[in-house]
Amino acid sequence: MFSKKRTIDDLLIEWQYDEQLKQNIVHWQTIEATPARYSKFPNELHPSIKKALNKRGIEQLYTHQREAFDYAVNGKSFTAVTPTASGKSLCYHLPVLQKILEDQSSRAIYLFPTKALAQDQKADLNDLIEDMEEEILSYTYDGDTAPAIRQKIRKAGHIVMTNPDMLHSGILPHHTKWVSLFENLKYIVIDELHTYKGVFGSHVAHVIRRLKRICAFYGSDPIFICTSATIKNPKELAEKLTNTNHELIAKSGAPVGKKTFLFYNPPIVHPTFGVRRSSVLEVRDLATRLFEAGIQTIVFAKSRVRVEMLVTYLKSLTKNKIQDESIRGYRGGYLPTERRAIEKGLRDGTIQIVVSTNALELGVDIGQLQACIMTGYPGNIASAWQQAGRAGRRQDSALIIYVANSTALDQYVVNNPTYLLGSSPEEALINPDNILILMDHLKCAAFELPFSITDSYGEFEVQELLEFLQDEGVLVKTSSNWYWMSERFPAHEISLRSASQENVVIIDQTVPAGTKVIGEMDTYSAMTLLHEEAIYLHQGTQFQVEMLDWEEKKAYVREVDVDYFTDANLAVELKVLNEDKTSQHKTASVSYGDISLLAIPTIFKKIRFQTHENIGSGKIHIPPLEMHTNATWLSFNLPENWSEEMLTDALTGASYAIGSFIPLYIQCDRNDLTVVPQVKSVHNDKPTLFIYDSYPGGIGLSERVYDILVPIIEQTIGHVQNCPCQNGCPSCIGAQDSFSESKQKVIKILSILLNEIG
Amino acid sequence: MSYENKMMQLKQMLGKKKEQPKNKPTFQKPEKPFYINEWQKAGLALVENDFGVLFKREVTYPFTFQHGFYKLGLFFDAVEKWQKATVEHPYAIHIDEPVLFFDTETTGLKGVGTNIFLLGLLSVEEDQFVLTQYVLADPANEAAFLFESKFWQQSKTIVSYNGKSFDWPQLETRWTLNQNVLPKLRNPRQIDLLHSSKRIWKNNLERMKLTKVEEEKLGFRRNGDIPGFLAPIIYTDAIKSGNASALMKVLYHNEWDLLSLVTLYIHSTNLLLEGEWEESATTYTNIGKWYGDLKQPLQSEQVLTTVTENYQTEEAGLAHYYLAFQQKRNGMVEEAIKSFQKALSFVNNREKLKVLEQLAILYEHQLKEYERALHYTNEGLQLLESQSFIKKDQQMKYVINWTRRLQRVEKKLKSKI
Repeated sequence: MFSKKRTIDDLLIEWQYDEQLKQNIVHWQTIEATPARYSKFPNELHPSIKKALNKRGIEQLYTHQREAFDYAVNGKSFTAVTPTASGKSLCYHLPVLQKILEDQSSRAIYLFPTKALAQDQKADLNDLIEDMEEEILSYTYDGDTAPAIRQKIRKAGHIVMTNPDMLHSGILPHHTKWVSLFENLKYIVIDELHTYKGVFGSHVAHVIRRLKRICAFYGSDPIFICTSATIKNPKELAEKLTNTNHELIAKSGAPVGKKTFLFYNPPIVHPTFGVRRSSVLEVRDLATRLFEAGIQTIVFAKSRVRVEMLVTYLKSLTKNKIQDESIRGYRGGYLPTERRAIEKGLRDGTIQIVVSTNALELGVDIGQLQACIMTGYPGNIASAWQQAGRAGRRQDSALIIYVANSTALDQYVVNNPTYLLGSSPEEALINPDNILILMDHLKCAAFELPFSITDSYGEFEVQELLEFLQDEGVLVKTSSNWYWMSERFPAHEISLRSASQENVVIIDQTVPAGTKVIGEMDTYSAMTLLHEEAIYLHQGTQFQVEMLDWEEKKAYVREVDVDYFTDANLAVELKVLNEDKTSQHKTASVSYGDISLLAIPTIFKKIRFQTHENIGSGKIHIPPLEMHTNATWLSFNLPENWSEEMLTDALTGASYAIGSFIPLYIQCDRNDLTVVPQVKSVHNDKPTLFIYDSYPGGIGLSERVYDILVPIIEQTIGHVQNCPCQNGCPSCIGAQDSFSESKQKVIKILSILLNEIG
Repeated sequence: MSYENKMMQLKQMLGKKKEQPKNKPTFQKPEKPFYINEWQKAGLALVENDFGVLFKREVTYPFTFQHGFYKLGLFFDAVEKWQKATVEHPYAIHIDEPVLFFDTETTGLKGVGTNIFLLGLLSVEEDQFVLTQYVLADPANEAAFLFESKFWQQSKTIVSYNGKSFDWPQLETRWTLNQNVLPKLRNPRQIDLLHSSKRIWKNNLERMKLTKVEEEKLGFRRNGDIPGFLAPIIYTDAIKSGNASALMKVLYHNEWDLLSLVTLYIHSTNLLLEGEWEESATTYTNIGKWYGDLKQPLQSEQVLTTVTENYQTEEAGLAHYYLAFQQKRNGMVEEAIKSFQKALSFVNNREKLKVLEQLAILYEHQLKEYERALHYTNEGLQLLESQSFIKKDQQMKYVINWTRRLQRVEKKLKSKI
């Protein structure tokens, strides 16, 4: 029998003649290989480092690594945009190690967005140091660090690898225990810069400002080194995050092998409603083909459940082999030892397919594979490229298959390959100006070091805010300074991963003796998702909310298995508080400013899966919630021959569609922004479309929308028009109950608006 | 949401900084607080030095001063007892060693934002004990307050209650914050009586709060004491309002703490060095075990033997247990077995399992009496299976080990027959 093993190039030739497969491939594109661009080792590079590099077969640097070294040596902070597997860690290891070898007292902090990443990088760095045969101490410092070695890390660790949360609550408020670190801090490395966006990024921006303030106190002025995946605004993000000017290294010198992208759209199985075959099943079939051809593949899926489904499906391929480990799942929460085992299996070829959530998208080192399948669009270009970057060994061809889901964004991407392949990626936005986040960290900063009565904080003038904190009773003012004077430990009251004052804690009481907290949710979302009797989905498992203790902010849930989901209605009153920017058009206006939002939960419906029939409803007993945030709004006159009712329907569909497309421009989750139509807005009695940040105080998203509203509407119209459904579907304007002409009306109203403001 | 509303108003005030030149100011003496007169009236003395002002209170006590069961002067007897003693112990104080009893009051529990506002020092002088309490005038005058404590100059042995892990590190934090003006802080020897109390009264006292130890062991009961957790609020109020009357109560609280440190040292020394046998078997067993852990086997054996001889077997179970380990280490197999057997019925299941294991080992490997070994092995297995005093996964491991032992002993028994 002849071997079925084939190379990617063989396989692709074969697929070109596979008519059945070809029907579903919307687009097929090959990007030719780019050769490496090298630079010599810098003259001053320490012989021990050279030795270690030579030992790994590195005789020269990629151009971006050399550029990084030169910037750092010249005392310039910089941000390097580095694709997967381009040797990005040498961009920071080299200057940091060089500095330590020149001056043993030097220190560096490495910041990684998660604990697991820090631990992975530590293993990598320690190997390098070992090959250098030098006495350089590097440690991870996080919640898992044993108390016995903490003292040693504080005093003697040259390189401390940690995460922003630990820095925020475990290191900065205790900075006097870290004197030798802060006095000699030469470098702050921020890896995976692109993950610091939205609420989290805005918090971290303040953690960095506090860090810099403490460095200044101890007389150090560290250089920032950031590495980022491809985003539109790496330099701007780095500068905003660190409040420091950055140089940009935009071009990687690493070689890229030939890559073939296939855009795969599952076939339509129900033409009227535009229903397509499940992407999971399609991925199963594609992965099977790759498995049989002997091609090492990584499959990305968005949720844990999907990962598990795919692993189960695929394992049936090997069910006749005993103890076969060639197909493995990989989810968050794996132990380092398990990860090492998977890594090793991938390297030595015993694992052939790994199915992963986006946990493997970040810098975790699993080596390089031959093919990558994305089950659905990961949400933004940066992630998609990170995932695609997992495929492609140095010189070999790589295959990347993107299999679309039926959501609007997925359908857009599969039908517009240039969006992913050609256009510039999204922006990552943060908003350190968010007053709520700022006040949180101002408290922490005041705890850490007193403010003088002439001090500012970061780029902010804060004297009046300090006055406010005095009124709150946590600060005391003397003739020269503001001092923290309270028993409270402010860092413990602030979580970097949320902007809300308070979160609702979700408690699983399925096992009475083993109740456990399974998650938390901001109060605003909780109103519609955690009301009593709501079906709450947590990592694919259904839970029913049995009791919601709104006062204590606790939701008690129990695991259930039902064939419906719940959908809650929220009546929203919007008031404009302050108009910061506005642009007038013929009869319409676009504005940006502060709004107040009164959300009143009303009723919820139980809706059966598949059929979407309404099988029950109830009242929600939660008091209204007021939130202040930022918004961009578009007001216009009621078009001629339109009734208010017609307009309501059309605007609802238009809002759905617009909401789906904002993530094309701004790196954010679909839920980070909310689009709400009002036929008669309170502030000017006109039909108005509000687009607001879903977090108290705003995180800068809607402000950006103000600038790019025209292209967003253009894009939306184009997509709704091109959607193959007849009357609207979840891929464009949302599911429609009636056979009215909703779709046409949505296109019409959007065109009117575009005409007004375009 | 009034907080948010306020925030929105504040947002209007939020300005962005224009670049301003950074020039580090040299030290400037802070201004004096407005309440100097009030605090003096309350009984505090004003002190002024190069770094600003602070307040101070001083009290002296003759050696005959009675605090609970003890006169303070007995401290010298305690030091002399250590001098004469043949054992080595981390709590021994040398006769020429200068000591300082030390306790602070703070505005919080941890972190750089926690201030020390009261440094209480009780020193031993030629003819009396002297209490000196330094009070932080306000946070701006911290350098003056720290400087006055003389911790940069003197290096006396510090005797405290939880000072090793709390008060002293807190002092180091404050010192670091003022390191640009203050001379370097010294690193003195520390004797922490919380640690010794925990060793001595484990399983005997439920809580190791100093006030509890005073009542139960030192014969002292406080009248009109303010609870320690109110101290931060009281201090904050005193510097905001200028009224120091409640603050004085914090000073008295601190004074009692310091006096009790002296008598606690005296009492602990007596327990460690001479068997007066007024306390429970548990206490002396703890002490015996402590000597064992300190690698003082003779002293350990002596204390434990005395417990086994002076108390009922029911109370002395643990003493037999620890003694048995000492004996085994010394190669006294027969004695060890006897002690283990005595301990067997009077210890908790966790120790009981260890006793059975030891007996099984001794009979199997030392005496080669396999029937006996088999008997204890079976008992051990039974205990393991009947009780759930250990975690499930650990229990499994134990069961595997014990089963292995059972098989081995059975095999040996067979080959012997």
